[in-house]
Amino acid sequence: MLDTLIAGLLRGNIYALGAVGISLVFGVMNVVNFAQFSFFGLGAMLAWFGIVKLGLPFWLALPLVLVMCAGFGLLTNVAVVRPLAKYLPLAAMLSTFAVSQILDNASQVAFGANFRAFPKVLPTSNFRVGNLAFGTSDLVMLGITIVVMVTMSLFLKYGRIGRAIRATSQDQEAALQVGIPVAGVQHVSFVIASALGGLAGVFIALYVGVANPSSGLETGLVAFVAATLGGLGSLVGAVIGGFVLGVLEAFGIHFFGDTAREIIVFAVLIIVLIVRPGGLLGRVPLISSEPLTGTFLGRGRPFRIPKWVWPIALVIAAVVVPLVGGDYVLTTGTQVLIYATIGAGFTLTAGQAGVLALGQAGPIAIGAYSSALLTTVVHLPFWVALPVSGLIAAIIASILSSPIWGVKGHYISIATLGVGTVIVAVIQLVFPQGIYGIPFPDWFGTPLTSPLAYYLIDLGVLVITLVVMWRIRRSHLGKVIASVGSDETAAVASGVRARDYKALAFAVSAFFAGVGGSLLAHQYTYIDPTIFTTLMSLLVVTIVIMGGVNLPYGAVLGSIVLIGAMELLRFTPELRIIVYGLVLILVVRFRPGGLLVRNS
Amino acid sequence: MKKHLARASAVSLVALVAVGLAGCATGSGGSGDAGDTVYFGVSSATTGQYAQYGDQFKKAFDLAVKEVNADGGIDGKKVALKYEDSQSDPKQSVTVAQKFVADQDVILAFGDYASSASIPASPIYTAGKLVQYGYNNSNPDFTAKGSQYQWSTAITTTASYTWTADYIKKQGVKSVGVTYLNTADWGIPAYQAFEAEAKKIGLKITDAEGVLDSSDDYRPSLSKIVATKPDAIAHIGYGPDAAKIVNQLRSTGYDGTFYGGQDEESFDATPEAEGSVIGTEFVETNPDAGVQKFVKAFKKAYPSEEHVTLFEAGAYDALHVAVAAAKAGGTTREGILKGFQELKNVPSVVYGEISFDQKTRRVADPKLTPVVLKDGSWSAIEK
Repeated sequence: MLDTLIAGLLRGNIYALGAVGISLVFGVMNVVNFAQFSFFGLGAMLAWFGIVKLGLPFWLALPLVLVMCAGFGLLTNVAVVRPLAKYLPLAAMLSTFAVSQILDNASQVAFGANFRAFPKVLPTSNFRVGNLAFGTSDLVMLGITIVVMVTMSLFLKYGRIGRAIRATSQDQEAALQVGIPVAGVQHVSFVIASALGGLAGVFIALYVGVANPSSGLETGLVAFVAATLGGLGSLVGAVIGGFVLGVLEAFGIHFFGDTAREIIVFAVLIIVLIVRPGGLLGRVPLISSEPLTGTFLGRGRPFRIPKWVWPIALVIAAVVVPLVGGDYVLTTGTQVLIYATIGAGFTLTAGQAGVLALGQAGPIAIGAYSSALLTTVVHLPFWVALPVSGLIAAIIASILSSPIWGVKGHYISIATLGVGTVIVAVIQLVFPQGIYGIPFPDWFGTPLTSPLAYYLIDLGVLVITLVVMWRIRRSHLGKVIASVGSDETAAVASGVRARDYKALAFAVSAFFAGVGGSLLAHQYTYIDPTIFTTLMSLLVVTIVIMGGVNLPYGAVLGSIVLIGAMELLRFTPELRIIVYGLVLILVVRFRPGGLLVRNS
Repeated sequence: MKKHLARASAVSLVALVAVGLAGCATGSGGSGDAGDTVYFGVSSATTGQYAQYGDQFKKAFDLAVKEVNADGGIDGKKVALKYEDSQSDPKQSVTVAQKFVADQDVILAFGDYASSASIPASPIYTAGKLVQYGYNNSNPDFTAKGSQYQWSTAITTTASYTWTADYIKKQGVKSVGVTYLNTADWGIPAYQAFEAEAKKIGLKITDAEGVLDSSDDYRPSLSKIVATKPDAIAHIGYGPDAAKIVNQLRSTGYDGTFYGGQDEESFDATPEAEGSVIGTEFVETNPDAGVQKFVKAFKKAYPSEEHVTLFEAGAYDALHVAVAAAKAGGTTREGILKGFQELKNVPSVVYGEISFDQKTRRVADPKLTPVVLKDGSWSAIEK
């Protein structure tokens, strides 16, 4: 038992370092910084390059790495995050995601994608406890973490800038009024956070023994959860969250195996959030509107689209594209249409109800698996399985997420990410093998196998989705849901049961996600859990934000741009993701409210 | 207001038209100038988490193409490859497949890397009557559940881990602890094959832990396995995860033999991996003349590469097999399929010679060689 505890503490050490960086930036900017994840991988690769390729001693390489990470962090903040964060935390979050894509891939172009053996700097197994040996290396890491944490807390308590950081994170407006240079404070926080990220990355590499540019991703996600667990914005909370997760994870793996890792991490998170909606040490957010979307709705008005655009768009989609485009365009089109369907349904949750749920891969996976099982085991026809799997997705997703609707603000995003991840992880436990031979849809006995047939089916589903969404928006129900999203306190004061309406909106979104999943399953004819990743969830969110978070038809445009762009950028294979990230940043920079939302 | 109207519709139209135009440009391209060039498509990951493998494949493919063309090509026609990045993501591998099917110049497509991207693309290749050559697809279901258009020269996980269990038992090992990748398309079927064979031959599995290649920390799983005191430990997985595992395994103080991993840079260079044993179809130190010729040519073409692994060798072989099939059956889609159905005894750096078992569309009777890692490189174990 003692060895498991020590393994957990060693691990928690790294989570704590990462979590402090995330919490620090969140505190002063109110932005969840996905780019932080990239600094783990980047730090590890820079250290590897310095030590192995340049022959630098570790103690020289380490400060160099920290300085470089800090520099990249500053650049990120100056160029991307700060210009947006003041007005639109949502857009800023999206652009940090783009930055992380760029950093990861630039690092991959520079260092290669290979895993590299990380040099052994200090002995790693000269002490023993039970079955676990650990080394000077681990103790030094723990020591450095403690020194860093103590210095940080003294700095925050007594240092001039440190106190400015705390003041800014308590109340940005007030800090400005008493003359604190908030911009400078934010820069400093970013620099510290990025350097800590780099440090954590080097530690991961030392601990694990190998590193590649994307090796920090998994750890980054857990560090992110740790920061949420402790309470976003609370540094002590981040440290506690890191160690708590590290230890619980180690014991969880000991009893349930490594495959249960994600379930353990997110189950802990969800339970903590239900009991303490602000995390262990965080303040319960009291703001009436959701920080992500509330500010957002007021700042832009959608373009009014004249009626004649719709028939023309339909003709282009249903007649011109099938006639002019070849099978390749049609197949790309099917992906665009399916994601547009999922996205359009999701606008009810993200836009109207103001809940930026991050775990849509969960309901998509439920829909795909339900449809696969209904057609292969029960032998229902595709046309029955399609709506039924949407219903199943809506029901299961609603039940699983029912406890979390009291959670507010950014926490709800993380909690839904947790629910989505747990759904996919549980599916993986129940059906570890993929499902093969999912039948093609058929039309009175004729199997519809051509790209054109898929395209038309998907188009039909999308049109129905858009009509349904339009009807919901215009209905009394839609207006009630929108009232919850734009001012929850006012809605509750008027007797609206906000929780229930959020849950209802989520169920409707889950229905369309399930339908989308079913369409994907029947097109691929094979599914396994590795298809339904966090990246899939992020894609859905990005699509919705790109078009305008409140506009179902915006999701169609978002889907065309984001999936189409990936295909269009095929001319530059190595730089594809980097260019994609840059395009994303530019779009967000100049149209922060979404493509179809006019700036105000 | 009017201005916004115009802008909104302009934005949407431009996007639609852009996608449409791109389609015209890419979808209907080619077909005129194909007279003296034979094109194969390659669907693989040049970006994303599997880019490492995509890069290894590409180097080997390019080398093989150069050799084939220097040697007169296919009946005087030059061979060329069309690469498309799928990130080994099914969302993209299906569009890539459709792109290849629509491009009449392409007579065969290689790929994809992971079975979770290859299998979803299979129905499209089958419908397009285009041979999908999954040179890396060790998942038996790629061919077993596929059609006559799916072929593979990768040894199936079933065959390779049945062999591994047998080999471990033959070394006098009585009990073994296992870590296996908990992936649907690869690790789980591999472990099932290992487990079934172990049961048959009386090799005791003291503890088996499913692990994820994306994890960094295997100590909780490993300390649990070590506590069951197995004679040896086998890992069913790839190089990078094996490097992490062997590192952390040795730090538990365990010193039994580690069977597993793959001849891959990060694994070979990990000092803790010293003495690890694996069964492989290819080892660069094999004295065979064909192998040495390939290894020499590869290192000459890519001086920065220190090692040549099964990944490169498999891709190199695959291109030669495809060329042989095109020579035998003709440089059309139907021709190359016919070629595959007739191929016999194609020289191979992996297997010596390749003949297909027409029932399974896999290599008939593939052999594995046990190798041990010594001073950072692999050498065959003498018997």
